[in-house]
Amino acid sequence: MKVTYNWLKEYVDFDWSVEELAERITMLGVEVEGIEQTGGAFEGIVVGQVISRDQHPNADKLTLCKVNDGSRELQIVCGATNFHAGDKVALATVGTAMPVEEGQKPFVIKEGKIRGEVSQGMMCSGKELKLSDDHEGILILPEDAVLGQAFGDHLGAKEKDTVYDLEVTPNRPDLNGVIGIAREISAITGNPLKLPDVDPPESGVEISKAVAIDVKDPDLCPRYNARVIQGVEVGPSPQWLSARLEQVGVRPINNVVDATNFVMMETGQPLHAFDLNLLTEVEGKRTVIIRRASEAEKFTTLDNQEHKLTNDNLLIADSKKGIALAGVMGGANTEINSNTRDVLLETAYFNPQNIRATSKKLGLHTDASYRFERGADIGCVDWVGRRAAKLILDVSGGQLLAGDLDAFPQAPDLKQIVLRYERVNAILGVSIDPVEVNGFLEGLDLELVSQEKSSAAFRIPTWRVDIKREIDLIEEVCRLYGVDKIPSTPPKGCLGENEYDVRHDDIALTRNILTGLGLDEAQGQTLISDQSARLVKEELVELENPLSSDMNVLRPSLMPGLLDSLKNNLVHQSQNVALFEVGRTFAPESKEIRKVAILITGRRYPAFWDDDRGKQDINDLKGVVDQMLELLGIYGVNFNRREVATTLYIESAEIKMGKQSIGQMGQLQPGVGKRFEAREAVYLAELDLDTLLQRRNSSKSFKGLPQFPASERDVAMLVDESVTHSDVLEVVNKVKPDNLVTARLFDVFRGKNVPEGQKSLAYCFTYRSNDKTLKEKEINSAHDVLVKAFRDQLSATIRDT
Amino acid sequence: MSLLDEIGPLKIEALAELNSANDQAALDRAKGAWLGPQGRFTGLMKQMGSLSKEDRPLAGKAINAAKSELEVALKEARDRIELAGAVPSEPIDFTAPGRRLRVGKLHPLTQVTEDIVKSFRKLGFVVADGPEVEDEYHCFDALNTPVDHPARDAQDTFYVATDSRPLLRTHTSSVQIRVMKTQKPPVRIIVPGRVYRRDTADATHNPTFHQVEGLYVDKGVTVSDLKGTVEFVFRELMGAKTQIRFRPHYFSYTEPSFEIDFANSLTRKMGKDWLEIAGCGMVHPAVLEEVGLDPEEWTGWAFGFGIERIAMLRYGINDIRLFYENDTRFIHQF
Repeated sequence: MKVTYNWLKEYVDFDWSVEELAERITMLGVEVEGIEQTGGAFEGIVVGQVISRDQHPNADKLTLCKVNDGSRELQIVCGATNFHAGDKVALATVGTAMPVEEGQKPFVIKEGKIRGEVSQGMMCSGKELKLSDDHEGILILPEDAVLGQAFGDHLGAKEKDTVYDLEVTPNRPDLNGVIGIAREISAITGNPLKLPDVDPPESGVEISKAVAIDVKDPDLCPRYNARVIQGVEVGPSPQWLSARLEQVGVRPINNVVDATNFVMMETGQPLHAFDLNLLTEVEGKRTVIIRRASEAEKFTTLDNQEHKLTNDNLLIADSKKGIALAGVMGGANTEINSNTRDVLLETAYFNPQNIRATSKKLGLHTDASYRFERGADIGCVDWVGRRAAKLILDVSGGQLLAGDLDAFPQAPDLKQIVLRYERVNAILGVSIDPVEVNGFLEGLDLELVSQEKSSAAFRIPTWRVDIKREIDLIEEVCRLYGVDKIPSTPPKGCLGENEYDVRHDDIALTRNILTGLGLDEAQGQTLISDQSARLVKEELVELENPLSSDMNVLRPSLMPGLLDSLKNNLVHQSQNVALFEVGRTFAPESKEIRKVAILITGRRYPAFWDDDRGKQDINDLKGVVDQMLELLGIYGVNFNRREVATTLYIESAEIKMGKQSIGQMGQLQPGVGKRFEAREAVYLAELDLDTLLQRRNSSKSFKGLPQFPASERDVAMLVDESVTHSDVLEVVNKVKPDNLVTARLFDVFRGKNVPEGQKSLAYCFTYRSNDKTLKEKEINSAHDVLVKAFRDQLSATIRDT
Repeated sequence: MSLLDEIGPLKIEALAELNSANDQAALDRAKGAWLGPQGRFTGLMKQMGSLSKEDRPLAGKAINAAKSELEVALKEARDRIELAGAVPSEPIDFTAPGRRLRVGKLHPLTQVTEDIVKSFRKLGFVVADGPEVEDEYHCFDALNTPVDHPARDAQDTFYVATDSRPLLRTHTSSVQIRVMKTQKPPVRIIVPGRVYRRDTADATHNPTFHQVEGLYVDKGVTVSDLKGTVEFVFRELMGAKTQIRFRPHYFSYTEPSFEIDFANSLTRKMGKDWLEIAGCGMVHPAVLEEVGLDPEEWTGWAFGFGIERIAMLRYGINDIRLFYENDTRFIHQF
């Protein structure tokens, strides 16, 4: 909402500068979003009159003049010659900043000597005033120019003012008018609120002779007030009125409509003026009916848009037709026009929810609907009606019929709220004197109805729809006292407690482990396309109202997001990508599962000038997964190769703990990769982080360092392709050879001397005792048992090493 | 010439050969020629038997002395040759880039979140969490949001297409309700997390973004405490010289409510006196009543702010979408 500095001053006195006012309003809770200076051109320039014109004693081309500025006589040295004594001129007095082009340095008139003669100002040319290109001589004003008048006023230029663009919070509809803001200023300054005169003279004819009101739906229209002004002269508004409306962003239309708009901006209460004679007359009388529209009823608003209404829309009508869309916009059929003589003035209160619904449904948002849907002031309706009637009489002439019609079946009870002074201090943390507290609230026109020692009761005016209970009064005290005056006390209080706190750290640890393993953290979109999501899962959580088809489901997995991120990198020529994400995924029935996903592709290490040490492969991914699990303290994880390819993977494994599937890893289908711009192999893994973190074993304990030497035995064996590392370990664990401490796979070989369908696995077994140095014989006998088990259980052929 | 007389010249010859050996092979040869089983010094030892009883100890002593001398020379020669072998064959260019490991970076949003968590934890706050797929009750009703508030519109809020019509939480404030309903006060939590608003993505909007909520409920909690804590946290986050301003505002679930503005060298650089950064207020008594707490006994405050906004201000990031593209050239800058 917009207000101006000068406009506010008409309702309340204050001695703040333009900036101070902005600061004060902001600190009351109405943020000033913009400040704009308007008008005010030619400040310091007055209408002057030349008294005498003589030759400058020391310069041929200059004149020495005496000029009257309206109050005294000045001596001015001038270079022009096109004027005579008695001429009226535009006189720039000392201190005037002359109009300049944007970006130029201001040029300020100073008193000084020119060729030895004092000059106390400047007589201006049209060019110097930026009024014309004429710089041959000074501007000669008409004879009837008023001596001493500000030059701006002489030209009819707008007065200097400042327009503030305010952000009014939705709980304070009373601040959508200038008076509302003025009331706040009145409360903090203690200066009285000056309200306009609202007692228009009335004619002898009673309004009830001409008009009747019939409110069919008092729920949607709890109050409807009508007045009639006869014999108006519709035309342009006076300059002050149209200027003020333009300042606050309202387009002037004609004097009657402008008067209603002005009063709306002034009071926050929307009004509407109908051409009374365009309402259907029945037996010498016109009836205004407030009713719900019938289904599919058509109505044309005054912007000439036709709307198809429903029973949910409230319509102002006469006996035959709709004449206004209640609270939103008037009808084209009864609009004020140049022929209008008699005006029906509507001031009403409509149900906010209903107005919001209508306005939204029809996509019709107006200054009126904005105010009604936030809740206008049901109590001020009659007062505002009188105010508007008075203004219409002032600017359009005519006569106000006696009385008004006010359909107001149930005046709301004014709320009374008790404020305990001790609660003010308990909430704000500062002790405020009860007298001061009362002063603040009474300053806002809250009426003190009873006073106890420790509390007081206040009656809440109808415009304060936001004040419902004691805490709301405390907020008022806080605003007026000034939150900046409340001391900041050092943080105090208790130790917090929440079971999630530990989990937060576990998740942070996971992220740190993965960055430590050389991966960058990604944060993907939660909303992705169903098409991407189906790469991973068929059962999706779909949105009812997606913004677009590429964000229409909640991610079931982090992998589609990582593939999107991969693409973002590849298209920017970053070919070597190692990313992970820790985040939530979603499954039907509001299941939210935290996962960790990993994607790697391209070079294994940063580029180096000597060699590039190869490309990432599945073993790099496995290494990351293994190390992450180990560093988190998670054991007993199995990787089961899938026999067949999936939509996503050309080769993959299911990751399990016991019987529970906790994730998957593998090599991306090249066809899928291409969709994400990948030309090289991409490796992906995703694990259920919630489950992993539940199974975390973070206990640590010290084991004595080995005291005796270890011996190693290598075994190379030919086994069937289907035999896995894990099968080998299983045999080792079953045999449990004495003193065996580690079994390490150090070579996998296929090719020369290895039959088709087989592979060669080479292991290094380390034997060590904690009590003694082992003898060859002891080691060999244990090792032979193991080798035999390989032969027997894995059908392994032991190769000579 | 007697054996004794041969020792001196042989030693000199042997030393010269050892000292002139320039690689391991030459040294091995020299060693073999003099000290090996067939070596000439070994040969001398074998001749000892032919000496007289008187000469024998003298010769033994002289041979042993010479042999130790040769062994010292041998060791020196070996060290010399090893050292020579260790010297790189070409000079090293120490200005050339080294061989690097890949170092991963945390996402800037994670870094900022962790900084926020750290400063709150100094004050005894713990981290709490709640679902992102929420219901209208926790997201709006319990937070005193009017029934026809525009935030509930399908225009502004995402709804899941199932019969129960859950929504994607529009703020982390929903977790306030969940925690206060299950945990007896005092409550002292922060809630970082993702929230959702139905805004088309542009430089300042993304349908998904992050917020942090802070909540403190206890006996005797006041606006003064709120100010003290907020000032502490924002000075931690935005620099010790940051000025904080509280400005009255409106939120349905706090009363009184404030917006928080800050000013520091950053805002001055942007040409602004103040920049809005967070919202806060005293927990509305209606909210306390809703979760079964007596507002006469318990009071509290809450505040919330956007993590992207803090990160953007802190690092001068001009487009929120960068956070979700995961371009490694972006991530590596933080």
